[in-house]
Amino acid sequence: MIIIDKLCYYSKLRYQNPYIKTAWAMIALIITVSTRSIALSVLILAAMSYLTVIKGGTNLRRYCHFMAIPFAFLFLSSFAIAVNFSKTPLSVLSLPIGSWYLTASFSGLYLVLQLILTALAAVSCLYFLTLTTPMPDILMVLKKVRCPYLIIEMMMLIYRFIFVLLDIAYQLRISQICRLGNKDKRTSWKALGELMAVLLVRAMKRANEMYDAMESRCYNGVISVLEETGVATKKEIALLAICSLCLTAAALCCAYLGI
Amino acid sequence: MEETIIKAENITFTYEDGTQALKGIDIEIKKGRKIAFLGANGSGKSTFFLCLNGIHQPSNGTLYYRAEPYHYKKDFLLKLRSKVGIVFQDPDRQLFSASVRQEISFGAMNLGLAIEEVKARVDRSIEDLEITAFQEKPTHFLSGGQKKQVAIADILVMDPEVIVLDEPAAALDPKHTTIVNHHIDQMAKKGITVLISTHDVDHAYAWADEVVLFHEGKIIKSGTPKTVFSDEKTLLATNLQKPSALRLFDDLCAKGLFDPSLPPPRNLEELEQYIHDISKRSTAL
Ligand SMILES: Nc1ncnc2c1ncn2[C@@H]1O[C@H](COP(=O)(O)OP(=O)(O)OP(=O)(O)O)[C@@H](O)[C@H]1O
Ligand SMILES: [Mg+2]
Repeated sequence: MIIIDKLCYYSKLRYQNPYIKTAWAMIALIITVSTRSIALSVLILAAMSYLTVIKGGTNLRRYCHFMAIPFAFLFLSSFAIAVNFSKTPLSVLSLPIGSWYLTASFSGLYLVLQLILTALAAVSCLYFLTLTTPMPDILMVLKKVRCPYLIIEMMMLIYRFIFVLLDIAYQLRISQICRLGNKDKRTSWKALGELMAVLLVRAMKRANEMYDAMESRCYNGVISVLEETGVATKKEIALLAICSLCLTAAALCCAYLGI
Repeated sequence: MEETIIKAENITFTYEDGTQALKGIDIEIKKGRKIAFLGANGSGKSTFFLCLNGIHQPSNGTLYYRAEPYHYKKDFLLKLRSKVGIVFQDPDRQLFSASVRQEISFGAMNLGLAIEEVKARVDRSIEDLEITAFQEKPTHFLSGGQKKQVAIADILVMDPEVIVLDEPAAALDPKHTTIVNHHIDQMAKKGITVLISTHDVDHAYAWADEVVLFHEGKIIKSGTPKTVFSDEKTLLATNLQKPSALRLFDDLCAKGLFDPSLPPPRNLEELEQYIHDISKRSTAL
């Protein structure tokens, strides 16, 4: 099964109020992206990692692994930003290629550093949310903020279906392997094609059956289910407010100092 | 006089691909009964169940709910489905939510109950079906038996008059089978009419008030477990075994060890008791 989905159910922060968690992640995200300050990004990265790993109990190695996914991508793309082709050499590096230079400047490098840190901090905000909050809770928050029903219901059904289909795909795959469906490259590809086709048909059938089953429980076009995460307590709200204020103050300081 | 809750008059059903799954079913379902449906794979049990709750509309014939003929308008269907609940054969087909509590609450929410009432009912079914231990797990982490328990709670929470369980014991280990059977008995005790389909003749014989035999889209025999399972010819035609308690009892009667006028034992425990009584009698002599 998908490991990132599994982790949130085991997080120690799972039963904390999802509204607060989401609000905190979103506030931090907005502040990071809008200030783009290096110092602030480091602060948020540290705070979010602390919350996810130390407070939430997510395995540190797993967490680093997840962080490395966007990092690799960022590193490659920022290379393209830092390094320029230009007729005049710049401050850091200059490799002449004909009458042109492959060159980079300090300000360019600074920009890249800023970019990478902002992006990582933003990603850490989202990881904090996904690694501590199960999908049904997130859907509940979306409902509270008046996200259209259609989107929420689709997300709910898709989320459930991912696992239903994975399970079917897994069983089909096993049964193919048991019958030597992967004995060479050719049969492997053919088996894969067949698996896809069968999976599509099964998915359609499952969807139909699930619709019937929902109808038989008086489904009338709107999926209404019990929502019972408690309202946030005064203490939680106060904590959120204080943390957000500190963050804003830090953002203002960083902007003032220009770091 | 027992009240008829559902009646089917000569219903037939054909799937889009032309498979004629039901070929004229007549049956009267009495309130508060425990009815077991038996029959080979593909004999039409699941199809019939889907007709009972208005998911399938029969091509011919009429169904009645408390003397009111089924009509396939929204308000009737909603009323019908709030009274006749189905637990599907495959729980993966039924569970649509990742959260156990939300999943169970769905039916009750659709009945338009007050939130407090829904909560109370969800709590009660979670407790009744012993789901408490895994209620916080997402549905995709549950085992087959646990999913089945949730699927039953899904329907129980709607407080129906008739509950239809399509192979409740399929894919369950003995422990979960016992749990599920226990809950089915519990429902029956509360006066809910319980319909199950099963391939387990021993269980059907021991448990049911009435047994219905399906064969190729028709009912070939129905009645008390004793009459149905004593009909050797029909059993042979449907490839069913005689329940072991009854078979042993008949054999022992034939050997003259038992008095055939005794009420036939419903399960092996009762048979054991008979044997016990005999040996006591013979030592007394
Ligand atoms: N969606 C469908 N489309 C076409 N034919 C179907 C469909 N579902 C069932 N059938 C056919 O209808 C007949 C009756 O099937 P049904 O599922 O009612 O049998 P069943 O008695 O429940 O069997 P089982 O004991 O295997 O569950 C079978 O011949 C089956 O192939
Ligand atoms: Mg069936």
